[in-house]
Amino acid sequence: MSSIFRGKFALILKIIILAVVTAILSLLAQSAVASGEIAIGIFLIISIFALNFTYFTKISIPLKFFVPGILFFIAFVIAPILFTVLMSTYNYQTGNYISKEAAIEQVLIRGVEPDANQTTFDLVSGKVANGSDAVLVSDIANQKFFLSTQDEITFLDAGQLTINEYGVAVTAPGFTELSADELAKSDAYTKVRYKYQDGYYIVIEGQGVGAVFRQALAYDEKSDTMKNLQTGEIYVDNNRGNYVLEGSPEEMLTPGWRAPVWFENYTKLVTDSRVRTPLIKVFIWTVVFASLTVLSTFAFGLLLALALNRKMRGRRIYRSILILPYAMPSIMSILIWGGMFNTEFGAINNLLNTDIAWFSSANFARAAVLLVNLWLGFPYFYLICSGSLQAIPSELQEAAAIDGANPRQVFRSITLPLLLQILSPLLIASFAFNFNNFNLIYLLTGGGPRNTLDGEIAGATDILISYTYQIAFGRNILDFGLASAISVLIFFIVASISFYGLRKSKVMETFG
Amino acid sequence: MTKWLRENLWRHTFAIIMCVFALFPLYLVVLSSFNPTGSLNLTSFVPREISFENYKMLFSSPKIPFLSWVKNSLIIASVVAVSSVVIGAASAFAFSRLKFKGKKFGIQLLLLVQMFPSILALSAVYVIMERVYSFAPEIGLGTQAGLILVYLGGSMGVNIWLLKGFVDSIPAELDEAAKIDGASPVQTYWLIFIPLATPVLAVVCLLSFIGTFNEFIVARLFLVEMSGRTVAVGLQQFIGGQYASNWGAFAAGSILASIPIVIIFLSLQKYIVNGLTAGSVKG
Repeated sequence: MSSIFRGKFALILKIIILAVVTAILSLLAQSAVASGEIAIGIFLIISIFALNFTYFTKISIPLKFFVPGILFFIAFVIAPILFTVLMSTYNYQTGNYISKEAAIEQVLIRGVEPDANQTTFDLVSGKVANGSDAVLVSDIANQKFFLSTQDEITFLDAGQLTINEYGVAVTAPGFTELSADELAKSDAYTKVRYKYQDGYYIVIEGQGVGAVFRQALAYDEKSDTMKNLQTGEIYVDNNRGNYVLEGSPEEMLTPGWRAPVWFENYTKLVTDSRVRTPLIKVFIWTVVFASLTVLSTFAFGLLLALALNRKMRGRRIYRSILILPYAMPSIMSILIWGGMFNTEFGAINNLLNTDIAWFSSANFARAAVLLVNLWLGFPYFYLICSGSLQAIPSELQEAAAIDGANPRQVFRSITLPLLLQILSPLLIASFAFNFNNFNLIYLLTGGGPRNTLDGEIAGATDILISYTYQIAFGRNILDFGLASAISVLIFFIVASISFYGLRKSKVMETFG
Repeated sequence: MTKWLRENLWRHTFAIIMCVFALFPLYLVVLSSFNPTGSLNLTSFVPREISFENYKMLFSSPKIPFLSWVKNSLIIASVVAVSSVVIGAASAFAFSRLKFKGKKFGIQLLLLVQMFPSILALSAVYVIMERVYSFAPEIGLGTQAGLILVYLGGSMGVNIWLLKGFVDSIPAELDEAAKIDGASPVQTYWLIFIPLATPVLAVVCLLSFIGTFNEFIVARLFLVEMSGRTVAVGLQQFIGGQYASNWGAFAAGSILASIPIVIIFLSLQKYIVNGLTAGSVKG
């Protein structure tokens, strides 16, 4: 048995596994660096060294156990956390999403203008004899025909060409047309600028149609400015990820790039009322929601535990039924509840004989959220309360009873305080969990009702985390910068709650 | 008799009320799944007719590729569960049993980070995987492989922490004996620790399976293609906004998707309840 872990076999296996992993990681690192993802490339290279050194030398035995875990941990836990903090200092959003180099390229591509008549031509895409992309253009109005590539334009005689019934040239000597299939596969044709006269060129606009354009903007690398070639206007970098017209900062070229804005996303949370007002509203509801949930689930769980805290008929059956909401995959339960709250056909309205539009009114939606979370959460507290009740030494209660306390007094002054002390870390953990209970809100109400006509982002049942998601992904505009700033804020809130809970549990360890 | 009533009546009454509350949605969804009209509109709370139409639809309708969703969920959750335990167990063993520099710092970092809800870094993960896609489309955004990597890596903090708790509870006498007999830590790990810890590792593996199966939002962002979705995302998108018309098939699908999870959960009840009191919350 032990020979498997020593001998030649183990060594060969180790070499093979490491060789495969090294090869894959090297390939990835290479293509990462090649496409400009330097940070990812460096991480991959460090991983390769770390793995090979750890398993081929005797640097450290604990590392042999750690390395794979640590690498994953850094890549998918630490890196995203750091990256969130980094993004929160950038204006990382739609319109400022790409790198500066890519933005310059895009600005130049978009920085073109049509000629005075906005001329368009019929054309056929294909290749010329030397293999370069070309278009066969028919200027029907002037009865002119020409072949155009990126570098040359060759005027042709109508006699050399086959011209179809619409007056469009379809074949020319030395020109091969591409089939629709070939065109669909290669997107190069739409990107090439085919030469025309007077500094203009032709760009393919659609199937068989091209338009005449010329470059209107030019980039000057030295001064990092964009220049309008016709008007001579200069666009400068505004240090916030856009080129703007000198003197009138409102006129910017699109797209922009992601640029550091330092603490702007954070100050926005406080100063910009369009961000601040919903944020405060959402924060209050988050706290109310988490508190009421903990309170209600704990109360019902405890009551149940008390009710069933003695030998009685049917206790096992009760227990196995009561645990079911907790055993169900919560996603399914939430979606099921979503159907039950349906206005027209839902079971709740059916049962109550009402026609309440649960998710259209703020208060009804909030009530529904709390009710569903009570259903999802009370079995958890029932389970731990009944466990903890048995852990409380019965001597105390008996002594109190002998001293003449009635059961209610025993509960109030002995059982409950002890229980709260034992369970306070769990109550706090539950609060922290519900503080970020994204699935419930997102799947049940989607954060709504919200008035989208007014451009409102925050809905009545949105909690901080679903609000953050809404800012980051929920609209046409992705705003990762602001979303990350709120994420960092939430982290500090949750971390302080958890630390408080941790200290409580530490205190308990020392005493009990 | 009156004494029995006084002491037990309220207990049974309350327990029965809560049982009805607990069972009501489940009863309803089972009822709907056998309702031949497939609509949300239940005319009565008592079944009049039992039909398997909705279940048949799951396996035949191209609108709802239920089988591929289940397959995707099973593959993703199993790969994540097994790999995370294989990788995590080694780290947890080192944290629990070996002595090394920086151990205390490592444990504190782990404790801090496992409190950080991974959903907070969602946009960061999205951007990182978008960039990975730009040079390695096979494992980037939009692929199941990428999703597995994100789950595996993202659960590392919590999993190592959870596993360390379990490993701490396994008596160390045997490893120490092996050490005295001259076994290296690697030998101790494979020959002593792993056989001892197998049941515990299996439990953590199943818990991780449930957790991954239940994950929604990352899967939602990652898996765009209809047939590539997980059960959770597939059913959510299927029912989304169409409660009235798609209800029957959804009910049948959610029952089938829940049964394995409920079975695993109930059979692990003991461990989960112990884990609960140790301070971990099911996701």
